[in-house]
This record gives sequence, structure tokens and C-alpha cells, in this order.
Amino acid sequence: MREITYAQALNEALRECMKEDERVILLGEDIGKYGGIFQVTAGLLDEFGDKRVIDTPISEAAFVGASVGAALTGMRPVAEIMFIDFTTVCMDMIINQMAKMHYMFGGRGKVPMVLRTNIGAGRGAAAQHSQSFHALYVHIPGLLVAAPSTPYDAKGLLTEAIKNENPVIFVEHKKLYVEKGPVPEESYSIPFGKADIKREGKDLTIVATHALVLRSLRAAEEVAKEGIDVEIIDPRTLTPLDKDTILKSVEKTGRLLVADEGHKTCGVAAEISAIVAEEGIYSLRAPVQRVCSPDTPVPFSPPLEQSYIPDEKNLIPAIRRLMEYT
Amino acid sequence: MATEVVVPMLGITVERGKIVEWLKKEGDSVEKGEIIFIVEVEKATTEVESPATGILAKILVGEGVEVPVLTVVGVITEPGEELPAKYREPEVLAGEEKAEGEATSSATPEAKASAAPRDVGGAVKAMPAARNLARSKGIDLEAITGTGPGGTILVRDVEAALKGASRPAQKVSTLAARLAEKEGVSLEGIQGSGVRGRVMRADVEARIQKEAAPGLGKVIPMSTMRKVIARRMSESASTAPHIYFFTDIAMDPILDFRKEILPDFEKKYGLRPSINDFLIKAVAMNILEFPILNATVKEEEIHILPEVNVCLAVALSDGLIVPAIANADRAGLVDITKQRKDLVDRALAGRLSIEELERGTFTISSLAQYDITYFTAILNPPQSGILTVGKTREELTPEKGDIKVVKVATFGLGVDHRIVDGAVAADFLQNLKAKLERPMFTFLNL
Repeated sequence: MREITYAQALNEALRECMKEDERVILLGEDIGKYGGIFQVTAGLLDEFGDKRVIDTPISEAAFVGASVGAALTGMRPVAEIMFIDFTTVCMDMIINQMAKMHYMFGGRGKVPMVLRTNIGAGRGAAAQHSQSFHALYVHIPGLLVAAPSTPYDAKGLLTEAIKNENPVIFVEHKKLYVEKGPVPEESYSIPFGKADIKREGKDLTIVATHALVLRSLRAAEEVAKEGIDVEIIDPRTLTPLDKDTILKSVEKTGRLLVADEGHKTCGVAAEISAIVAEEGIYSLRAPVQRVCSPDTPVPFSPPLEQSYIPDEKNLIPAIRRLMEYT
Repeated sequence: MATEVVVPMLGITVERGKIVEWLKKEGDSVEKGEIIFIVEVEKATTEVESPATGILAKILVGEGVEVPVLTVVGVITEPGEELPAKYREPEVLAGEEKAEGEATSSATPEAKASAAPRDVGGAVKAMPAARNLARSKGIDLEAITGTGPGGTILVRDVEAALKGASRPAQKVSTLAARLAEKEGVSLEGIQGSGVRGRVMRADVEARIQKEAAPGLGKVIPMSTMRKVIARRMSESASTAPHIYFFTDIAMDPILDFRKEILPDFEKKYGLRPSINDFLIKAVAMNILEFPILNATVKEEEIHILPEVNVCLAVALSDGLIVPAIANADRAGLVDITKQRKDLVDRALAGRLSIEELERGTFTISSLAQYDITYFTAILNPPQSGILTVGKTREELTPEKGDIKVVKVATFGLGVDHRIVDGAVAADFLQNLKAKLERPMFTFLNL
């Protein structure tokens, strides 16, 4: 199969959906002429015109609100917020409008929109352009939250997000945009709530999201040399979460490491750990480990930022700690 | 509809029972009334019948685990019925299936008994999966040394314990099991020398030799039976004020009587009644004349019990057990002989039912086979009377100006002075003496 980048895969999903359904429109800052800060919307303005690919002013609350309205009246808007950091300025639109309309109208209105954004540190973008607080949206009922980790998943999940009748927060990862992987040329969608086993193993389970999937795969290869057989579960969507696949894996391995780039406190890793404590405690042969971002802002200093980012340097010791309980 | 399987009420004083063995596996079909598991209570094991016909869908309490009576230990569903969700919780404990052809130690050892002294401050640290495994196999975590960080007990530690000393479903060869049962040797702690730790006959023989060795300066953990005896005896001694009465009873008449009827009796019924059988019958009949000796004290009431069930104390290698002959007042000598033989055999094999142990209303304890002239005994609670029998000895007695050799045994009667006074006890014993010394009349209508 041909290999394309994560950004190209997303671009392809958008193009295919726009071709297939004229109700699909894009809104965001610098998504038209510039093609989006990470080039996800590159070429789409030329292909579909400025009625469907709308460069908005720097006015997140306005264009996310406009997207909610458009979705309620029958369109399928895909809004792009340049960094997840900026969703804070349209929080009312997301949490009180986008997430609630379907419920407030007693099911008579729906909001089939997608809000694309991204997380992740590592680009020297400092504390206001590097955050990973996607857990915040997992906390809010009424929103679906997708978290693709590969080009294949990115295309399939975005297609599903656009076709889904519910509002979706589509959380990309900025370090993954350039990662390449096999992606089918035809259109396809990946159902929400179905985790993917990225690596099969028997000694311990890593539930990893976003870039931590890739980093866990590398860590797994490293510890495989020591004879440790790691299984990696990528939930792919955080709402809905495929608990069954996680619990089944933990039942098999008896050891759990949860790896997510969000802050450790009240994060996705905390939630998954709690689920396993509630529903799978008797499978646990070792205390649960979490590999997350520290509870501090992302530092600008490149050496500090490297130290801040959760990756193999954190994963491998955590794996070894788990394997002390054999 | 799903039916819950519970540990039944096993008598008024019984609070807990230990599941010794499941005779059915999960998924087996069961008939109502069929024996599905065996529970051990204090000194006895009892078989529990299935309360319904269907599928044994779930075993909630595995072998070797002790639970309070009326605890739900399994669930029976109708064919095709799904197991109700409430039984599918994670704390559900599966029992272990036994490999075919393996005998399981029926006196399930408590892991605790073999515990090395351990410095534990508060709760034992164990991983949940290890804890779960230990519980489902009936292993006491305190008996296990953790090898994880900070001494945490890991799954592998429990697995090691399972393979070793504290394994409840120990693999035992049939010969070894038979020998152990015969000699009354506990299989607990025996390190099997067979394949995968299987206990072989030689291992049991080694244990027997070791136990026979003089053992000064050692600590012996009490077996379940010993604990029960200890508790019941001290309870009885401290709550019932005991008084004792002794009398010599001439034994020639009853010995002659037995000798006379024995050939015909044996021919007709194929049974050999022992002196004890005559004694049981005589005591039962005597009780009918002194019902207060068939009573039990409940707070400020004296309950005269409706049945006369006479217990016979049976010495075991590691204790003592007192099964009761049912309705000894109404039973004929044939019935008493049969019951006595059956109860003693099963007492030695450790297979008495709770009911057989609990139904007693009066106890006879005999040391006639020892060179003991007379002795006292502690009442078997909640009973009010216990008769002791010393050895039969020869004595010289003056008779019509001559001296005659007679056989005599000293009988003792211990009673609870709260409800039986000295005069009543003396009358009881004298009356019994009269019965035994005039057997022809006593057993006239048998």
C-alpha cells in the first residue's frame, strides 16, 4: 500500500467527504490560501472554492458558534482551531452550545459538526501553543472525542467524524502530521469506540494515545530485547472508550501502563486507570503505572521541553517497574 | 429462574462451614437432591444436595474456603438461562477442577497452620491478582512470603505456595491417601516426591515416622478438631458445675447374658453386639425414668429433649469424636448394634454428618480397654449427663460364708449441678446398676 503522511491522510478524508457531500464546509484561520498551519487543508480552497473553504478572522468563538448554527440548520461544518490552546476562547460555544443543543432541544435538533484541533509539545511553541488538555472534552457529556495516532486511523476516523450525527472534537497531534503510514486510496471510515491493538503481547498492556502510541511501539521494541512482551492498545476514540478491549488485555497481561500526553492529574490516563481499578482490579498483578506530561506548563527551553515530553525515557523505566512484579 | 446454592444451616451452634470439595463443575447439569458439594464443619463433613434441577452455572466459593452458613456459594440456572448479572462480578471465585484419578486431601489443610512466623504490621501487602488467586484456592496470604518490591505478595508467590505446602487440592496418590486416612496422618505440609509434587505413599510413611519421633520443644498448631475440642471443653467446664458419682457394678451378669445370646444373635442377625451396645440400651431406658438427664440448659429454662440419642465417645488419633445413636430408647439391640458399628467406622474415616454429631443428648465414655479403674469426664455440651466406664476387674466378694471371685467395673456419672442434684444423680446411677446386674429382666422385651 502507498504511504502518505498523517496530514495528507486528513486532507484526503476532507477532500473525499467534500466531494461526496456538498453540505461539508470548512471554517478556520489560515485554512484557505495558506492551506492550514499544518497543511491539512492544502489545495481544498482551489478545488472547492471560498464558499466551502472559509478563511475566518481570528475569532474562534464566532466561527465555532457559526459552525454550531450551520450544523443545526443542516450543514456538515468542519471547523479548525489552530491549536487546542485556542479552544479556551470558544469554550462557551463548545461546552454550552455544541455539546448541549441536541439535548436542550429534546433530540429535535442535532449538531453534526467536527471541531478539528491538535495537541502536543515538541515544536518549541511554548506554554500557549503546546498544550494537551483533550481530557477536558472527554469530561463533557455530549461530545465525541477522536484521537488518531496513525495516518490510516486519521483518515478513517475523520471520515467517520464528518458522517457522524453528533458533535465531534477531533484531536490531532502536531508531532504526528509528518509521520508516514500506509493509507488506502479509497474512502473508508473507522467506527468510533473500537480500540485497535497496535502490538500484541503477553506481559503487559500499554494503553496509549496519539504520539504515545508511536513512542510505546519504539519502547516495546527496546524492551523486547530483554524478553518483555508488550501489548499496545490504542483506544482511537476517547469518547466513546472501548473499555472491553482494555479490560480484556489487562486480564491477559495483569499489568497496565497508561500513556497519554495530557497532564497526569485528572487526565485520560487517570480515567483509564480508574476504570481498570473498578472493573478489572482482580487481574492486576502489579500497581498501575501512568506515563503523562508533568503537572506544569510546557517549557519553552528546548532541553526542558525534551525532558517534559513523555516518551521512551519515561516508558522504558515504567515498563521495568511493572516487570518487577512477575 | 436462577436458584442460589447456599451452605445450609448445619445445626444450632454451627456458624461457618468450609467447602471441602465440589462434586460438580461449572456447566455441569445437576438434579434436585443430587449431592453437589461437601462442606466441613467443626469435626464433620456433610454432603449438600442441589436445591434445584438445572445447570451449575457458577461456583462463587471455591474449595478450601470457609464461609458463614447461608452464604451463597453457587448458582443453578435453568437450561438456556443466562447467569444473572449480579453473579458475574469480579470477586467471583472459581473452584478448582481436580485432575482425574487424583485423590484430594479431604481434610483440607489450612495454610495458616504451616505459616512461618512473620513480622507483619497490619494488613498483608499483596497484589489484587495474587489476593484473588489466594482466595479462590483457599490459601491464607499470611502464610506466604512476598518476593515483590517491599515484600509484596505477587501472583508467582501464591502459585509457589499452591505448588508447595499450603496447596489445598494437593495431588496425592491413591495409596498415599488411603494410608494417610488409615493412620490419621494429616497431608498438610507434606512435600510430595512424585511428579509435580504429588504426594506418594513413601512421603506419608516418612511423615508417620517423623510424627512418631519424640518431639520436645516444638510448637504444634491446633488442628480444626483440636480447636473445637478445646473450645467446647473449656466452655462446658466453665459454665456447667460438674459433680461426680461412682459406683461398682457387677459385670458377670451382663457378660454372661451377652455370651449366652451371642451365638443365636449372630446366627439370626449376622451381628455381634458389644457390651457397649447393651450399655447404650440400658442407659437409654434409664433415661426414660430420669428425663432430667436428657435435658439441656437454655438461659433460665431446662429443656427436656424429645429424643434419647446416646453418644458414644470414639477416640481418634488426633482427637475425640462423639456420634450419637438415634432414638436409643426405642431402638432394638439389632438397630443399636448396626448404628454403633456404622457410626464408629465412619467416625474413624472422618465421614460423620453434622446431624449425627449434634443430635446427642447423653454421652457414654468408656476406657474399659485401658487399665483405668475409674475416671471423670467433662460434659459434652449442651448435654447434662455423661457416664464413664472403667476397666472390668476381678474382686473377691464374700458370698454365703464363702469367698467368690466376681467381675466388677466402676462406673462414673458426671452431671450438670445446675439442673441435676446429687440425690437424682445417685438414683440414676443406682437404677442403672440394677438394670445391668439383672439383664434378663432389663432386656426382656427386646
